[in-house]
Amino acid sequence: MSRNKIFLVAKNEFLKRVKTRWFVVTTLLGPIMLVGFFTVFGIVIASSIDGGPKTISVIDHTGQIASQLEDPDGKLSFDISGSSEEELKQKVLNEDITGYLVLPPGLISGNEAARYYSTEGGGLNVFSSNLTRLVQDVVRVSRLEEQAVSREVYDIITADVSVESIKLSEDGEEQGSSAAYAILGAIMGFLIYITMLVYGSVVMQGVIEEKTSRVVEIIISSVKPFQLLMGKVLGIGAMGLVQMTFWAGLLAAGTMFSGAILSMFVTPGDLDLPTTASQADVLAASGFVIPQVGPEVFVWFVLYFLMGYLLYATLFAGIGSAVEQQQDAQSLMLPVMMPIIISIMFLQAVLEAPNSTLSVVLSLFPFTAPIPMVVRIAMIDVPFWQIALSFSLLVGAFFGAIWVSSRIYRIGILSYGKKPTLKELIRWLKYV
Amino acid sequence: MPILKVQSVTKRFGKFVAVDNVSFEAQPGRILGLLGPNGAGKTTSIRMITFITMPDEGEVWYGDSLVSEKSQEIMGYLPEERGLYKKMKVGEQLMYFAELKGMEKVEARERIRYWLDRFGALDWVGKKTNELSKGMQQKIQFIATILHNPSLLILDEPFGGLDPINAELLQDVIMELKDEGRTILFASHRMEQVEQLCDDICLISKGEIIVKGALSDVKRQFGKNTILMDFAGSDTFLDDLESSHRIRVSSRSTRHAEFSLLSGTTPKQVLEVALPQVDNITRFELVEPPMREIFVTAVNEQEKRQSTLSV
Repeated sequence: MSRNKIFLVAKNEFLKRVKTRWFVVTTLLGPIMLVGFFTVFGIVIASSIDGGPKTISVIDHTGQIASQLEDPDGKLSFDISGSSEEELKQKVLNEDITGYLVLPPGLISGNEAARYYSTEGGGLNVFSSNLTRLVQDVVRVSRLEEQAVSREVYDIITADVSVESIKLSEDGEEQGSSAAYAILGAIMGFLIYITMLVYGSVVMQGVIEEKTSRVVEIIISSVKPFQLLMGKVLGIGAMGLVQMTFWAGLLAAGTMFSGAILSMFVTPGDLDLPTTASQADVLAASGFVIPQVGPEVFVWFVLYFLMGYLLYATLFAGIGSAVEQQQDAQSLMLPVMMPIIISIMFLQAVLEAPNSTLSVVLSLFPFTAPIPMVVRIAMIDVPFWQIALSFSLLVGAFFGAIWVSSRIYRIGILSYGKKPTLKELIRWLKYV
Repeated sequence: MPILKVQSVTKRFGKFVAVDNVSFEAQPGRILGLLGPNGAGKTTSIRMITFITMPDEGEVWYGDSLVSEKSQEIMGYLPEERGLYKKMKVGEQLMYFAELKGMEKVEARERIRYWLDRFGALDWVGKKTNELSKGMQQKIQFIATILHNPSLLILDEPFGGLDPINAELLQDVIMELKDEGRTILFASHRMEQVEQLCDDICLISKGEIIVKGALSDVKRQFGKNTILMDFAGSDTFLDDLESSHRIRVSSRSTRHAEFSLLSGTTPKQVLEVALPQVDNITRFELVEPPMREIFVTAVNEQEKRQSTLSV
């Protein structure tokens, strides 16, 4: 019978929210933003690869570099016209030329830097890194020549030294970009972070609303506060799950879509691929690797995602019950928010060294576990005992949170007036 | 129908004793008025009866068992502080409350229709609560209280915010529910209403019961010490009598006065003072005290007792 009431509350919370405009709008707008994101992503990649042949005017104060500048790919050509800097500046502003390069006399000795002027500034595109590489090559050769070092030595020094990353797993070797796994992990981590915060605060807001509208006293003359608390957390969780599932479906579609968008801007020819190349090949060639991950990664992601939400939504509900206004909740929320903030703060560290002691500790401690653990699972083969321990601790923490929150809740929802301090909340725990 | 028994119940919040060893009974087919000043412990008592909170000591019985989740399903509680879900529609909201009380959907739907119709509110089914006036919300809330056919009703200030017409409609419904044999707990500060509706009263102050029993017995117990007087002319005799602590005036207007006799003052003494001053007296009647008078006297006496105790 008691489970039945939790279900009734959950059903009401779920339906009440799913029927609102807010739900429809966020659910539908989410993917639009997602598509927008992929479109922008596609355009950025495309524009940095694209570009076509460009001519750059050069003013050479060293008198020996400009003549040697040459792009082996033939995408850049250099014009040593001898025009003055003033004239070139004007031409750039009139958009007659893309830009001009100034090579100061101290460039070879390393005392001065080469300067590239254009309307676009620097930017992180392929073009500017190409240009840097070309200038660097010539300057280095010049420097060596000044010291009478032969060209062969230079070739030896600059010969390719590459390190291939190969991910070792139980199933054997797997070649792939570890960066792609890190990105996947980071995305999953952020998703958990956002759900814990967004849906957690929806729960808190619901509790506060129910309390300030005084409807709560009627409800708890029919339902135990614990049932109301759990029903609320589960109902809103179900709403979040529906939203997430909907988005996940679109994300899968969106991944394909981003390839299609990319191929509108990039023709396979640009990437030295045959014109018959598939979208996946195009994505791969442009550095966009879809990592191959096992289903267990997604299973653990969903499990940590759910438990993370349940843990924090329960705690947020407890806090919400103690206050009458959202603003009053701030100071009480700090201790609860701390672990979430810590786990997102150390996200970078976990991404860089998923097997470090810090990463292991963070992914075992239940209040920080959800985010670092999914990142690690996505990136490496986490020993099973660690996952098992971490998840058991998380489930344990969830039950602990239920105990604490329901005790605060049953007192809090009937207390009006002065906002309680943390000390008072702790005293509430001891009431019968 | 079962009897509600509150037995030696005590409830503390920290060091504060909200309810101190309180016992009373409520009988089926009768209305028990739960009275007391603000902060006396009424709401705390009600919450223990409705199984929202548990007593530290003592027990609350309804029928043959202690109050529990099960007894909640046959109780209807209208709290003093009203509240509904603002954005839910009236019909959905009532259905949710009914389901929480364990009702089947089909039966609930039928009863929602019946009661909305009874209160002339059938058109509101599809409206959101925040589109309704305060009085309308009040009616919806009352319907939510009686929807599941409870045998025990706890009504805290049920008439607040209602116009006279709706108040009368509500009073008719309450009397009807009483005649059907339900037990009704009626908490109010409006003493005229208590006098009109209640069969029994229980007056709580500072967590203790100070007056308890059938309304008529209580009145008799306080004795005929109240005078109703209609007169013409000057009313300064009232001030004279009051300043010499021989009477306490509970209400007065230009031609009417209602006062109680203090410490052995006789009606004759009052007339002796009044006659030389007034032009005429058209009514002079010794009656039982009104509920308001009993309330004030009892609470004041308790205070006096406690202040002498503490000295």
